[in-house]
Amino acid sequence: MQIICISRFSYGYGKELAEKLADKLGYQSLAREELVDKATEHGIPVGKLETAIVKRQLFTEELGIETDRFKAFMTASLCEQALKGGIVYHGRGGHLVLPGLIHVLRIRAIANLEDRIKMVMQRMNIARKQAKQYIEQVDEDRRKYSRFFYNVDCDDPSHYDIVINAAHLAVDNSASALMHLAQLPEFQLTPALNQKIHDLLLESKCRLAIYQDERTRGVKVTVSAEKENVSITYIPRHGKKAEAIPSVIERIDGVKSLICTVATTNILYIQEQFNPELPSFQHLVEIAAKWNASVGLIRLVQDDIEKETNEVISPEFNTAKDVGGILDDEPAVERKEESGYGMPETINKLIQAGRAGACQTIHGGMKSLANKIKQEQNYSLVVVGDVFTSYNNLIRKRLKRDMISTLSDQASAPVISTDEIEEQYLFRPKQWIMTVVYALLSSLMLFLVFTNQHEILEFLSQSEDWNRVLAIIAVTIFAPLAAYLIGEFSHNIMKFLKLE
Amino acid sequence: MGLENFTEITWTMAAQVVVLGFIGGVLSGFIGSGGAFFMTPGMMNLGVLGPVAVASNITHKFGKAMVGSRRHADLGNVDKKLSLFMLITAAIGIRIAVTVMEFFFEKGDEHSTTRGAGADLYISIVFVVILSVVSIAMLRDIIKSRKNQEKGPSTKIVDFLNRIKLHPMIYFPVADVRVSLWVILICGLATGYLAGTIGVGGFVGVPVMIYVFGVSATVAAGSELYLAMFMGAFGAINYALVGLVDIRLTLLLFTGSLFGIFIGAYGTKVVNEVLIRLVTSLIILLCVISRLIAIPAYLQELGYLKISPDHNEYFNSASKFLLYLSGITGVLLILYNVFKAYFQRKKIQASLITDMPQTAVREFSGKAT
Repeated sequence: MQIICISRFSYGYGKELAEKLADKLGYQSLAREELVDKATEHGIPVGKLETAIVKRQLFTEELGIETDRFKAFMTASLCEQALKGGIVYHGRGGHLVLPGLIHVLRIRAIANLEDRIKMVMQRMNIARKQAKQYIEQVDEDRRKYSRFFYNVDCDDPSHYDIVINAAHLAVDNSASALMHLAQLPEFQLTPALNQKIHDLLLESKCRLAIYQDERTRGVKVTVSAEKENVSITYIPRHGKKAEAIPSVIERIDGVKSLICTVATTNILYIQEQFNPELPSFQHLVEIAAKWNASVGLIRLVQDDIEKETNEVISPEFNTAKDVGGILDDEPAVERKEESGYGMPETINKLIQAGRAGACQTIHGGMKSLANKIKQEQNYSLVVVGDVFTSYNNLIRKRLKRDMISTLSDQASAPVISTDEIEEQYLFRPKQWIMTVVYALLSSLMLFLVFTNQHEILEFLSQSEDWNRVLAIIAVTIFAPLAAYLIGEFSHNIMKFLKLE
Repeated sequence: MGLENFTEITWTMAAQVVVLGFIGGVLSGFIGSGGAFFMTPGMMNLGVLGPVAVASNITHKFGKAMVGSRRHADLGNVDKKLSLFMLITAAIGIRIAVTVMEFFFEKGDEHSTTRGAGADLYISIVFVVILSVVSIAMLRDIIKSRKNQEKGPSTKIVDFLNRIKLHPMIYFPVADVRVSLWVILICGLATGYLAGTIGVGGFVGVPVMIYVFGVSATVAAGSELYLAMFMGAFGAINYALVGLVDIRLTLLLFTGSLFGIFIGAYGTKVVNEVLIRLVTSLIILLCVISRLIAIPAYLQELGYLKISPDHNEYFNSASKFLLYLSGITGVLLILYNVFKAYFQRKKIQASLITDMPQTAVREFSGKAT
């Protein structure tokens, strides 16, 4: 049940490599082109999407939904195939539609430009210059597509486990080397990852069903699934259509429960162990109510715990089909998962407050968490609570600080610690004092300007060179200062009125 | 230049400028532009000389963009390299605009009965021409998208420029585009000139980035705001140099606009995208008509139109009425949606738990026990 994704150039040797590798491992090989054909048959306008991205056309909300629909289709197809017995996918960024699956083997296959040119010349029967131009254009379009569709640079080797160059390696030998690589423990399925594949499949099926159904078509949703419990959030202006979501989801097999929440935005709350009684949690709910946001929970399982609880049995050579050790679940691990780590109580509190978002467990520590944050840029705020709890206080603080800094680089939203929530986002007595200070300073400025308007205007319109320079300096200092004081005062008032 | 350029500000006028700032701010937060298309003619209707209205507004824009562009930069929507390249000629454009304005202000009054009529006419004509094109293009876009024809802006210009490749070509990493230096310099010049003349550089800068450079809409908006900060600063310096900045008006505009921006920005979250574009284009169109109505009065003052000077008051009143009508209607529509959403938020039963799951809570609770 392995997943191997090969990212390839056009007219490289990625296709041949993928097919050879699939053959050696006994897996199914799946090309992006096949996936696109199937998606188009399902009514997803992939061609139109690609044109809009490559031609940089304005992305309407409708096209945004079609993009998500295509991503959901890709995820569902890859997960389904992986559950059937392993898959080698070749195309663009397959691993990027499989967030959280850290066992995916990510390969970048590159080839010599000259060889590619020759291949194009032969296949298309065109001159060398045209063939070169053609390849450059296709490569450029693919880069644009990856940057837009996945928000990554497909040429960046940091997105792959290995980059394989065909210049000096025969396809067969490359496939053999990769087959050995695929046997390493890092690329094996664990019980937690197996569950994650099921969750991703369910999640994408729900997204597809919502986008497909006449009643809910056009509703922009965020879906997440954890152990058959599905959470869906949608924005308030889609409220009317979204009423049909439960009946659409009802038809999907394997959904145990559904939480459907209306939210303008999402807040992500990361903890190792949740406690709804904590004051920081109450503050978070207060902010969520103010922003009309849902609160998504992520329970973070650190690397060392991961290693301890999700051991896999290294497969023997040629037993790749059976790899994974899914049946080797340790009861102790399951018991630990069942204890809930405060998640059920916390999600119940959020349901009561009408703020429930997705809840997930992320294994693999910092690396997996950073990947998830990077891939899901739909948060307005990321709050990091108690993490690294197995360490002493000083180390914990340092690690948490580092984590916030790393996540800040990945997320497009502010990442803060639970200790900072109250001060930064809630209106407290300190904010009142600052509001009064800004109000007084703004009023003083208005008072001084209007009681001395004659002198000020005379000063601003004097004709001597030296005075002109002074007037310029005064204007360039005054304008931003006034904007800052009045802006901060307005911002605080809006914060108080909960209209940020 | 002297004190005669500045209007006496009474309490009533101060209140009206604050209201202008507020309406401009709401529209600015809602549309994402600077709001100058409303505030500049609004101040001119209140009797402020055109060049002083433009100068005070560009100074207001400088302070506002300085505060606002930080947020866009945090979100990674700013291509600083692109903005700075455009700034090279945008600065020249602003300087040209100020010089032309000075010319009309000083020389254009030779045959005029009223001070500043030449400059006012010049500003009004540029305003009407440019914003007519913008509003009609926006309305055309809405109609097309409703008919489900073209889904986005045409890429004909981008494709054409990519084909001819006027070297040197410069790559902009955040926007992810390769544009000819000459094209950037020409577009920067036009943006700067219009920002310096009517204070609405964004209405040209953003479409130029999208249609000519091929930049995505979000990066175009963020980069334009970053550019606006420098253009605002440069414009403020240039107008301060010729003594046309009325800092009192700038301050009053800030008082209204910085409140309005928050409300307008909140409005974008709760109002449908098509409605946002429709409201924007209709407001701009009404502002254009309002300015068009004021033009005969300037022509009469300059002696180009033989009508009784008594009629000028009617033209000015009609222009003012239409401007306020467009602004107030637009703002009321936005405020209605904002407050509707604000109060609904309190009533909303946010979590719907389905039947299938009679379950939703129980399943989770079950695991907890």
